[in-house]
Amino acid sequence: MALYLGIDVGSITTKMVVIDERDEVIADVYLRNNGRPLEAVQQGLEMISSRLSRETILDGVATTGSARHLAAYLVGSDLIKNEITAHSIAVIDLFPGAKTIFEIGGQDSKVIILRAGVVVDFAMNTVCAAGTGSFLDQQAARLGLSIEEFGRLAQRAKHPVRVAGRCTVFAETDMIHKQQIGHSIEDIIGGLCDSLVQNYLNNVCRGKEILSPVVFQGGVAANQGIRKALERELETELIIPEHFGLMGALGAAKLAKRAKPCRTQFKGFELSRKPCFTRGFECEECGNQCEVIELVVDQQVVAGWGDLCERYRTSPRPIVG
Amino acid sequence: MKVTFPHLGTMHIFCKAIAETSGIPYIVPPETSRKTFTLGVQHSNECICLPFKIILGNFIEALKMGADTIVMVGSGPPCRLGLYDLVQKVILEDMGLRYRWLTIPPRLTWQAIWKNYEETKELKKELSWKNILLFPYGLRMGWKKMMACEALEKLAMKVRPREVKKGETQRQLKKALSWVDEARSLRTLNEGLERGRVLIQETEQDPYRTPLKIAIVGELYTVMDPHINRGVEQKLGELGAEVTRTSWFSTHILRSLRKNKADQASERIRFFEASKAYLGYDVGAECNLSIGEAILRSQEGYDGVVHLMPFACMPETTASGILTRVGKDWDIPILTLILDEQEIEGRIQTLLEAFVEMLQWKRKAA
Repeated sequence: MALYLGIDVGSITTKMVVIDERDEVIADVYLRNNGRPLEAVQQGLEMISSRLSRETILDGVATTGSARHLAAYLVGSDLIKNEITAHSIAVIDLFPGAKTIFEIGGQDSKVIILRAGVVVDFAMNTVCAAGTGSFLDQQAARLGLSIEEFGRLAQRAKHPVRVAGRCTVFAETDMIHKQQIGHSIEDIIGGLCDSLVQNYLNNVCRGKEILSPVVFQGGVAANQGIRKALERELETELIIPEHFGLMGALGAAKLAKRAKPCRTQFKGFELSRKPCFTRGFECEECGNQCEVIELVVDQQVVAGWGDLCERYRTSPRPIVG
Repeated sequence: MKVTFPHLGTMHIFCKAIAETSGIPYIVPPETSRKTFTLGVQHSNECICLPFKIILGNFIEALKMGADTIVMVGSGPPCRLGLYDLVQKVILEDMGLRYRWLTIPPRLTWQAIWKNYEETKELKKELSWKNILLFPYGLRMGWKKMMACEALEKLAMKVRPREVKKGETQRQLKKALSWVDEARSLRTLNEGLERGRVLIQETEQDPYRTPLKIAIVGELYTVMDPHINRGVEQKLGELGAEVTRTSWFSTHILRSLRKNKADQASERIRFFEASKAYLGYDVGAECNLSIGEAILRSQEGYDGVVHLMPFACMPETTASGILTRVGKDWDIPILTLILDEQEIEGRIQTLLEAFVEMLQWKRKAA
């Protein structure tokens, strides 16, 4: 049975999915990066391999997410795909009738508009990360709550307070003010969820035609508070896929399957036990002052990037696009 | 006296040519780097747009290298660029840097001449007769070099989506531009241009490709400078799209001198006229033209439009709101990219890849 691995290295979490020829999910991993994507990928590989039988050989690997290039240099990838396409592919296969995808992750929030199974429009937050998962995380931590409790409490809000959602810095000021004058924690959290949803719909989804069925995915889809606030605002029920947090990796795995490489570039699961690190330096060869990064695996520089002149790009590179 | 000027695309090549040919000492600021960003951001006021910060960074670096006379193009309101020279003067003075400032007026009016009167009086003392006599020739040389750079860049935009080895066109373009830059006479310039043309055309190409057609519109600094837009033009080209833009130095200079050739003038007029369906009056800067160009490009069969703007740019923020509507009304996908000091190159790459892919799907479905 042919198996395909999809790796999605996002800003906060790393996701991996292995699928077979029939698109069945054989193994999956969801773990936090803790700011160290390389280690997370290694750890993920180890976890995945422990869930597969020992003789398993992969037939194709694709990477996606904001660290897709880094992950590809490390594991050896047959395909590097942007996360917007990866998410769309996963949804189009599972829900052919879907017309809108909401994807809210750690640093990114996206909206993808589908019509007749084709992407016709999309948007992603650019200069501002307001209202994404990392802010919710941060606020939950400030209140000493797990993110699950956070979602539960939001639903218990009786009179959600008004919180400025335009910018998270201001939102926090607002929340602290509300807490100090005596609002209940449920109402504050409920208010925060409402304002983040408003911000998402007004900024990321501005001018987009949101039609149902709407699929809601990404790590934040686990948050009941945000989910309910979105449903209230849009007056429609959202579809939450079974693997809502893994959709990018699932899409990548499906793309790896479609690409059907004759011979995979994958460097093998042993990689998880090899010491690896990156090192950065400012090149002084010319006036460009490029910040070059080199990836070192097992005492060998396997790739270099960040240079305009490409003098450090020694290793063969997989297909990009 | 040592003249300096900001970076903007290939502007340093022809500014340098003018100074060099007329025998005026000059300093080209170091290529825009992270250090330039840092310096510019550190000394700019909050909420000002990205071009301002980068130009300021260029000036600081050049002044520290020993330049003492800044030449800067001014423009008119309502775009804040029209007031840049005044604000930057104050900042540089506060930093304790000593220099003289020459504003090249966007339009030659009595007011503009009056604005520069004091400076020119000073300058006259330092310029020799030789400098002044050679200046018209310098201008001619600069103009020729500018046209040569534009011709090479336009050619590269055509070749890039067809290149077999990714990034090769860009390398050839760089080499060709350096030949133009190094030319010291009109004869060597023409030779350099011809050699450059051949070099770019020699890039190995796949003649069977039918690249997507994408127009880049938006605020002129972000459209014209690859440091500010993180190489959007090159990225789109390498993803397989033939890119066009109408913001070039020649269009803007000719526009200011009101000497556009009939076809160029009529193109801008056509854009402006087309925007009237959405805008009742001239919002300023490139706003109306961004909208008008998007509409006309959709009629010309372009696959998509990429709209570039600096964060907090007033005219283009207006345009971006209207463009979402234009995209729907004229069935042309429009991607707006907002640029600021953050390191968002990866994000831009992701958005462009997804955009190009979407256009390819759309083309296949049609």
